[in-house]
Amino acid sequence: MNVVFAVKQYISKMIEDSGPGMKVLLMDKETTGIVSMVYTQSEILQKEVYLFERIDSQNREIMKHLKAICFLRPTKENVDYLIQELRRPKYSIYFIYFSNVISKSDVKSLAEADEQEVVAEVQEFYGDYIAVNPHLFSLNILGCCQGRNWDPVQLSRATQGLTALLLSLKKCPMIRYQLSSETAKRLAECVKQVITKEYELFEFRRTEVPPLLLILDRCDDAITPLLNQWTYQAMVHELLGINNNRIDLSRVPGISKDLREVVLSAENDEFYANNMYLNFAEIGSNIKNLMEDFQKKKPKEQQKLESIADMKAFVENYPQFKKMSGTVSKHVTVVGELSRLVSERNLLEVSEVEQELACQNDHSSALQNVKRLLQNPKVTEFDAARLVMLYALHYERHSSNSLPGLMMDLRNKGVSEKYRKLVPTVVEYGGKRIRGSDLFSPKDAVAITKQFLKGLKGVENVYTQHQPFLHETLDHLIKAKLKENLYPYLGPSTLRDRPQDIIVFIIGGATYEEALTVYNLNRTTPGVRIVLGGTTVHNTKSFLEEVLASGLHSRSKDSSQVTSRLASRR
Amino acid sequence: MCKKCMELISLPLANKLTSASKDSLSTHTSPSQSPNSVHGSRRASISSVSSVSSVLDEKDDDRIRCCTHCKDTLLKREQQIDEKEHTPDIVKLYEKLRLCMEKVDQKAPEYIRMAASLNAGETTYSLEHANDLRVEVQKVYELIDALSKKILTLDLKQDPPPHPNTLRLQRMIRYSATLFVQEKLLGLMSLPTKEQFEELKKKRKQEVERKKILERRAALESQRRLEERRSDLVSHATNGEVVSLRGGPAPLRKAEGWLPLSGGQGQVEDSDPLLQQIHNITSFIRQAKAAGRMDEVRTLQENLRQLQDEYDQQQTEKAIELSRRQAEEEDLQREQLQVLREREREREREQFQAASLHTRTRSLDFREIRPFQLEPGREPRNHLAHALDLGCSPAQSSVAPKTPSPSSALEPIRLWSGPPALGQEFFPQSTTSQHNEVPSLNPFDEEDLSSPAAEGTASPPAAEPPLSPPACVLKEYNPFEEEEEEEAVAGNPFTSPDSPAPSPFDEEDGHPPQRPSGPPVPGSPFEEAPCTNPFEVDSESGQEDEEPIEEELLLQQIDNIKAYIFDAKQCGRLDEVEVLTENLRELKHTLAKQKRGTD
Repeated sequence: MNVVFAVKQYISKMIEDSGPGMKVLLMDKETTGIVSMVYTQSEILQKEVYLFERIDSQNREIMKHLKAICFLRPTKENVDYLIQELRRPKYSIYFIYFSNVISKSDVKSLAEADEQEVVAEVQEFYGDYIAVNPHLFSLNILGCCQGRNWDPVQLSRATQGLTALLLSLKKCPMIRYQLSSETAKRLAECVKQVITKEYELFEFRRTEVPPLLLILDRCDDAITPLLNQWTYQAMVHELLGINNNRIDLSRVPGISKDLREVVLSAENDEFYANNMYLNFAEIGSNIKNLMEDFQKKKPKEQQKLESIADMKAFVENYPQFKKMSGTVSKHVTVVGELSRLVSERNLLEVSEVEQELACQNDHSSALQNVKRLLQNPKVTEFDAARLVMLYALHYERHSSNSLPGLMMDLRNKGVSEKYRKLVPTVVEYGGKRIRGSDLFSPKDAVAITKQFLKGLKGVENVYTQHQPFLHETLDHLIKAKLKENLYPYLGPSTLRDRPQDIIVFIIGGATYEEALTVYNLNRTTPGVRIVLGGTTVHNTKSFLEEVLASGLHSRSKDSSQVTSRLASRR
Repeated sequence: MCKKCMELISLPLANKLTSASKDSLSTHTSPSQSPNSVHGSRRASISSVSSVSSVLDEKDDDRIRCCTHCKDTLLKREQQIDEKEHTPDIVKLYEKLRLCMEKVDQKAPEYIRMAASLNAGETTYSLEHANDLRVEVQKVYELIDALSKKILTLDLKQDPPPHPNTLRLQRMIRYSATLFVQEKLLGLMSLPTKEQFEELKKKRKQEVERKKILERRAALESQRRLEERRSDLVSHATNGEVVSLRGGPAPLRKAEGWLPLSGGQGQVEDSDPLLQQIHNITSFIRQAKAAGRMDEVRTLQENLRQLQDEYDQQQTEKAIELSRRQAEEEDLQREQLQVLREREREREREQFQAASLHTRTRSLDFREIRPFQLEPGREPRNHLAHALDLGCSPAQSSVAPKTPSPSSALEPIRLWSGPPALGQEFFPQSTTSQHNEVPSLNPFDEEDLSSPAAEGTASPPAAEPPLSPPACVLKEYNPFEEEEEEEAVAGNPFTSPDSPAPSPFDEEDGHPPQRPSGPPVPGSPFEEAPCTNPFEVDSESGQEDEEPIEEELLLQQIDNIKAYIFDAKQCGRLDEVEVLTENLRELKHTLAKQKRGTD
């Protein structure tokens, strides 16, 4: 159950199968992203792949001395491009791999186009998703829904992504979904359909306890993506944005040219791998140690001159040193920028109030704090809006709800209309009416005691009190206590035992905070392996874009179907 | 077919098109080469062609009729055949390049094995052989470099210039070759020089000798344990003899491999079957070498190395076992020992002062096998007492008498502050030292010069400008400081000084490290005590490690406290910050005091 490893193995196999000689890798836009997540350029260069080309690029030269490895999604356009390519082959021989199931008719038309018999192989390699971390994958779909229904294109992409994931992990799961979400049900059915249709592909060795696929909807927890984060990976995504492991630092003041875009990949960066789940304070001291460690290894020009032994030590450590210097400069820059943003945007204080809004039930104190922060000139309009959104979500039905007053405060603060409009939209997206479960008040005795104790003793770290709702869901699932009336099985058969291999998919996007939760659950629950996926991985900004894209902001314009469905829900 | 849609194919073309299949046919049958098969292949290709032509047109013997579609296909086929036969230059070069890379992949691990063994002072492999291999591997690297350069510049000056993709391909091949060389070549450790090797061998011999002693002891231990308890002095004297007589020659034999054995005493050692076997193998190697069977030598050498490892392992285990037993015994004897020690301590200390020169090698041994010295039965009491008093203090005079001990010499050290903003927070110890002495002129060996990195790194210090430090403080040379000094001076190479990057470390602004003020001197050079003899470096630094440990601990603690302060600040625990800051100040004060003290 390691998605990075699964994809990487596919790519390695492709390159290996093509034998020795210079190679070109032909990809489409999406597969380029998929490959770049698991292989670095230098790594792939060592395997004699020297050129990377897009199948749709018109400017490719005829290079008959190269072998072509094609890794493509089986879309109509790609098949057409391939047909053109094979009619007038630019390379000596073609190894074709599709990232998903391809129809027989497409294969047939490819075969017909291959007049010069340049195709050596056609295979399906199910690497049809972005492997972010070993336990986290994404489909990079932003805006998967229209209203409360799937965008049909995205539904089919999500189905393909999920089924490819299942195939690459060799799982034929039972499926559960969130009853309150129509989209979850639709996706579950589509996945089931594919499994039934391609039953031969899904014939894996039976495990004692069948794997489980749980499909959830972001609407059920709109709080998590609205919070500021303090663990490294989540924080970098929240404040700087991670896009396929890449971080754009071009807006950092005074940034040097070669640090405008950096790559944070746990696969190739030991420091990142060790620190991605630690909180900001710990990273501060770790980066200091890294720096010191580096300085010790750094060659000393004068010292080098003095003895052969020093020289030798330097030369032997040189590649490591070079690698390390890159790592050090990268992380010092990233952490430095985070730190700058934290103080510039007054994020410690903002986050404290966010956490209070998300985790505690003291309305008057929360209101007071939000009002106070709205007066603070250092708080950006973005953070101000998100505080009000959190307030609106939590105290939506509170008797002394003073959302209108806060909205006035926002206006007085000069927050743009774009953000102010988003407040009711977010409530529309993930408000109480929509949620299938209770996000804020604990349900069982244990949870109530926990919260009581929390209030009594104070919390360990005020900035990280929040636990995503997913934690509770998964915890119940692992203990076989997840209610069937809220999360029914698709089909008649149900799981008698506690599940072992679990794949959770969140329509509308997962978050890195949830990825951390899953990471911790994997570590602390022996025998249970969980993989988390989402249509994308959100930070607050992208989440708000997702909400906006769903078109819920103006309910009057919604299609009649959606309104009627909403009405019936009421 | 009417005339309009009819195409004609000339016979030469037809021949060319069919020759491919003819070739393949003839190669298939080539082993037998019977006239029959040649005839058969003819029939398969040409006869069919001619039969077609004969039917179509008797007069046009040199042309074949066909339709447009067929002609198209046939022309495409011709193109394919042409492509197959033509190998572009880049492919030829590339194939050579790959061959070289494969060669490196084969040879480099072998060389590394050899170099590691030689650098450990082992004599499993011969130095010359390793040197030859090194030269060979380096030649291949040069070839890789040259080939990839050639690929890079291929057709570059042509008009019109090659397609951008071709250029990209060439660049990428060059890049990957550079990566390959960087990764592998720089991983190649250098070999010791002849003199160095002798030194290493000696060192290893000592090591082995030490093991011998332990082994001897283990044997004697079992025999004499009871006896020893009764009389320390007697048993000790016997033991000393054993060490010098029997311990000596044995390791020599092992280390020197093919050297002739020195009769009687050696025979005793050979009672160990492992040693016997080692002996045998070394003589085989000698014979194989004489016969010039290098592959066999290699196998044998590998075999020998394994044996030696095994033997070392055995010895170590014995030693461990022994030390355990001794520890038990030690308890029994401690009381007795205590009395004796008290009584004689004063006198013996004086004695040792006088004796230290004579017992130089001994005192080194003391350090290494200290646990055993606690056992009164083994060692003369004066040594024992002394060892206990001194703890494991370094015996500097014993190993490297030629080397000026850096910690004994007072070196001028310049202190200044004002490294780039970021560096300041990281490195409280911002001092730079400069030695007055000039470093040895050419410390590089030829072999080192041949590697590109060595060349690159060798040049900058030569061009170093003389420095004029603003503040100058006399200070003891401290090997641990220099690291930080360097850092501070060089600043953070990755964040330009003007980049704000205020980072979490800004927090410490309130407590600037104590140091004299002065303008920043970026990149100012500093030189360590130049070591005229590179071989001394190891032993020297080994000793130095011990003295400033306390200071290092202090520095470490300071760092820790800073981290705590940072953490506390992050979490807003201000009262804690205050306490910690106080603590930090104290530590720094202590550090400064200590430094002044040792000055």
